[in-house]
Formats: sequence, C-alpha cells, structure tokens
Amino acid sequence: MAEQTRSGIALKPHYTRADVSCSEAPEAPGAYPFTRGRLRPPQASPGWINRELSGEGDARRSNEQIKYLIGLGQMGVDVIGDSPTQSMIDPDHPLVRYSVGTQGVSLCHKQDYVDLLRDIPLEKNSVSSSVPAVFALTGLLAVVEDRGLARDKVRGSVLQAPLYAEDCGYSSGMPFTLLNRLAVDTIEFAVEKLPRFHAYIEDTYFFSESGLNGVEEMALGFVEIRHLTRELIRRGVPVDSFAPRIAILVNCGMDFFEEIAKIRATRRFYARMMKEEFKALDPRSWSTVITCHTSGLTLTAQQTASNIVRGSIQGMALALAGVQAMEISAFDEAYRTPSDEAHRVALRTQQVLQLETGISKVDDPLGGSYYVEALTDEIEQRIASMVAEIEARGDAVTLAQQGFFRKLFADASQRHYRLVNSGERKVVGANCHRIPAEQDTLLRDIAEKKIEPWLSRISEVTRYRKARHRDAVSRSLRSLQRAAQDKVVNVLPEVFGALRAGATAGEMAGAMRLAYDHPYDPWGELRPEF
Amino acid sequence: MQTAPIPRIVIGLFGIDQHEVGAIAVTGLLRDAGMEVVYAGRFNTPEKFVREATDEDADVIGISCHSWEYIHFVPELMRRIADEGLDVAVVLGGSVITPGDAETMRMSGVAAVFGPDAMKDQMVDEIRALAKAVRGRRR
Repeated sequence: MAEQTRSGIALKPHYTRADVSCSEAPEAPGAYPFTRGRLRPPQASPGWINRELSGEGDARRSNEQIKYLIGLGQMGVDVIGDSPTQSMIDPDHPLVRYSVGTQGVSLCHKQDYVDLLRDIPLEKNSVSSSVPAVFALTGLLAVVEDRGLARDKVRGSVLQAPLYAEDCGYSSGMPFTLLNRLAVDTIEFAVEKLPRFHAYIEDTYFFSESGLNGVEEMALGFVEIRHLTRELIRRGVPVDSFAPRIAILVNCGMDFFEEIAKIRATRRFYARMMKEEFKALDPRSWSTVITCHTSGLTLTAQQTASNIVRGSIQGMALALAGVQAMEISAFDEAYRTPSDEAHRVALRTQQVLQLETGISKVDDPLGGSYYVEALTDEIEQRIASMVAEIEARGDAVTLAQQGFFRKLFADASQRHYRLVNSGERKVVGANCHRIPAEQDTLLRDIAEKKIEPWLSRISEVTRYRKARHRDAVSRSLRSLQRAAQDKVVNVLPEVFGALRAGATAGEMAGAMRLAYDHPYDPWGELRPEF
Repeated sequence: MQTAPIPRIVIGLFGIDQHEVGAIAVTGLLRDAGMEVVYAGRFNTPEKFVREATDEDADVIGISCHSWEYIHFVPELMRRIADEGLDVAVVLGGSVITPGDAETMRMSGVAAVFGPDAMKDQMVDEIRALAKAVRGRRR
C-alpha cells in the first residue's frame, strides 16, 4: 500500500515538476495569496515571538511566573485559566474545589486582573490569554483604564471558540446561541476599544487535540471563521475593521511536511476567502497571522525526554512554515501543567532554533519544493471541499446544537486510540521501543511533581464577595441580564460595568444564562443573589 | 449452555476535569469488546457516581483521570460506596496517575489502575474479570 500522510493523502515515492501547478509568475513571500508568508512591514524582523503558556495558583503567583518567563527572554504574556476559570465557574463553587489553580490561574474578579498584570509594561508585552474572551478582554481593559494607558498601544489576543468549546474544551453550560453572540459582541467591542488587540484568535489547537487530522482541523476552523465573519458583517461591522485582527492558532503534530503544507495552505485559503468571498479590500485583511502550539497529544508519558525531541522537530516545522508566534508544549505535558524546568526547556528549544540554526533568515525556505508545493495544493483543496460539505448541511450553530461537531470529535478520538493501540501509528516509547517502567526514570521526578489545589483562593473569593458594595453588584448584574435578554445590543459594556462594580465571572455568566432561559448554575448548586 | 453475563460499567470524569478524549475512546473500546457502557460524561461527584452505579446496576465504575482532582475525590467515593454497602469495583485510568499514586489508590480500595502503559486487551480482560467477580458475589 502507498504511504499516506496523517490526513490520508496518498504519497508518491517522489515528486517532480509535473506534480506542481504551473502559475504564470512565481509567488513572492508576503504577497497575495500569502502561501509563502504573511504580509510584513519592510522594517519588521523575521522570526517569531517566543512564549510559553503559563498560569497556576492565584493571580499573584501567576504574576511571578510571568515575570520569571519574561526574565528568560519571553516576549509576551500567554496565560491560561484554571479549569473553573475556563468554565466560567467561581472558585468557591462546590464542584470545583479540587481544581482551583492546578491547571492554570484562577481569575474571576477585577482585582485578579490587576494582580496578574502588576508591574508588567503593557506597551511592551502583548497579553494573550486562554481565558473566556469576554472576561479576558474586559479584565485587560479595566487594567488599561486604571493605569491610564493609551488604548491603541495595547496588544494581545483572546481565543474564540463558540462552536466547539462546549463539546471539546471547557463547557460553560451556555447555549450555543449565547456563546456565538458573546464571540461576536467581544470582537465588535474590541474593534472600538482596543484597536490593536486581536479579539479573535481562531483556536484550532484545542479541538484538533481530540485526534482530528490536519485537513479536518483547518476545515472546522474555517467553518467557525466564516460563520463569525458573516455574523459580524450582518451586524454592519465592516470586514476591513476586524479581519486584520483575526489570527489562527493551529496545532502542530509529528507529520513534518504535512504540518508545514497545512500552514501554507491555510494562509492561501484564508487570503482567497477574505478577498474574493467577503470582499475585503485592505491587504491586511487577506493576510492572517498564524500562531501555534505544538501538540500535547503527540507527547508520551513514557520516556519523557523524547518529548523534548518531539518539541524540537515540531518547532522546526513551524519555523519553516513561517509562523508569527509559537509555544512548544512542555515535556511534562502528559503529567501536569508545565513545571518551571519544562518551561525553560521549551523556551530554550525555540531560542536554539532561532539563534543557532539560521532557520529564520530566509522566508519560506521550502517554497518551490515539488513535494511541499504539491502537498500544499492538495491540502488546500481538501480543506475547501470539507468546508463546503459541512456548510451544505446547514447553519453552523444548528449543527453544533444537533451534536454534529461533537460526533466528529468523538470519532476522531476513537480513531486516534485505535491507531495507537493497534500500533498502526507508531509512537516511540508508547507502542514500540518500550522500556520497563522501573528503568523509565529520566526526568520523572520533575514530571511527577504536583500542584496542590489553591484552597486559600476559595476563602479569598468569599472575602471578596463580602467586601463588595452589594447593591451596586446586584444592580450591575440585573442590568447585564436585561442587556442579554435584548438580543440586539452588545452586552460587553454591561459585562465591563459589572466587572468594575465587583461582580465575578460566575455571577455574570449566570446572569447571562438566565437571560437565555438556562439555569443560573448548570451544575445545580447555586442560586442567583441579585 | 450458559453464556457469561455482559459486564456493565459506568464511565465518567470527576469534578470539572474536561479532558474527555480518553474516556470516550475507552467507552468505544469496551463497547466493541461487548460490554454495556453507561457513559456518565463530565461533571461527576462521588455522590453522582454512586447514584448512577446503583440505578444502572453497574458492576464497575471506571473513572478517567486527567486532572489531579481524582486524588481528593476517590477516597470520598470509596467511603460512600462502603457507607451504602454497594458492591462495585472502581477502576481508574489516565496518564496523570503516577505509580506512587496508583499504589495509594489501590490501598484505598480501588480495584485496578490503568496507567499510560495499559494496552487495550489487558484493560478489557481485567474489567471483565472484575465484573464477573462482582456478579459472583451478588448471586
């Protein structure tokens, strides 16, 4: 049987000129349709932003962690919330007490954002976060206003995943209609308030970690981008006001050339779509920023040190593909949120690639390779057909409500595990070249260190609640609920107002759920107090 | 000829551990192996697992662990099972379970722990044997 890529593209033994589509003039990097690299101002330096995802315990602990990473040469802030934060549940909820601060930072009220970003110059460091966008954006804006900073100096990003987070990431117990509205509201609000902020990162990383292949990953990503773009245009937001601020956070697994081709194909598909279909006129709208996390799913719990090798290879693929920022999953990923040691190794991997190999001195070094160009063409085509096939089934929100995407993710998980279990997909150390557990000790001590639940945070939030101006909080939550009931207005100003008044993320999420006739607390423990 | 009873297993995750990939995959594997799996999904407390196992007349409760919440929830689950006099085997799976923690879990009454090394056949055989033992005791 012929060899195949992870996406099932049949491979020839070798490629020749005949496999590459003949264009009249060779495409230059930085020119439409941006296969070979995004639009770049002439003075910008090549290379990418080094950063590592961080966050543990409370905001003060995470602030120390961020400063540690900046001290190591990290160029921006990249924070992830703990599981309760991601699910919009406050840390004092009974379901979540053992997960507070263990897999990210616990953030639920305004002071948390102040503490998280203390002493970090926001004019110099971009702030990216994997925290529900509606709170990440308003939290950052509150800090910007408190410090009196110019709003057009602040950079950073938030993720939007209204179609997929519920099934595949962190469930917030909100209906898809509300999740979609929040995404559109957030993007619209940011266009006005923080014009240099990327309020829409399409995150294809987290859902493709279910085991999707590269074509499926990007097809679903584009289904979401296209859905939100249409919604924004329908609201009257000009495409050229938000399209330049869209970025895509992709996954990078171990199929080296396919991952590179996937990123090249993504840039091209995006450019053509924005220009030809959505009629964007500004070239910046056609050229998307691509950032990347290397795949945690490809890392093994066995022979942990091999993960450092995997991260290096994935990082190299990303450098060759020309991404704007990368994060290499830490070698202890299979066991825990990254230790300081693993963070440092991941950052050093990027720095070795960037400073020692010369890999980023030339744009798109693989451009013109018969194989890479042929694979890029094939992947772009396959993405296009899958997007068309899904869109022919109906509206994206309806498909989400019907569980269409959930089934895709579940099938992908099962496919992945069957391939690994049967040994058809080789994973070194896991299903081949194994060693006895008692010999598998290298780096284990680091990988197995645990973070205890941050129980003091629970009492701190309880104290915060008691110290607030109760009437002001209640008023702001009622006002948020009313705005959410009115399906036409943007709720972000009310979220911002409630955050400033002292409301917590859990309360605000509950107020919005009520407006959509959903339970205030989907887990059945709390009642509204406003 | 008497056929062996079909094992019944409840599978789910604790608290807000939302890394559901493994649980869904294992559910598929066990169903393919002919078992009846009640998929309890995410957001379970010890109380919910006990209720589900009772209602579904399950032989085994299988918990997928991808956050450290299980360390705190499992002892609570074992206490509840004992308090209610329920005869059910508890098994855990997931890469976050270190060898040392697996030992602690077994000491607290967990019947089996499947770490990252567990292969499909081993898991299926062990769960089948545990279910059979539970059925034998109930008869």
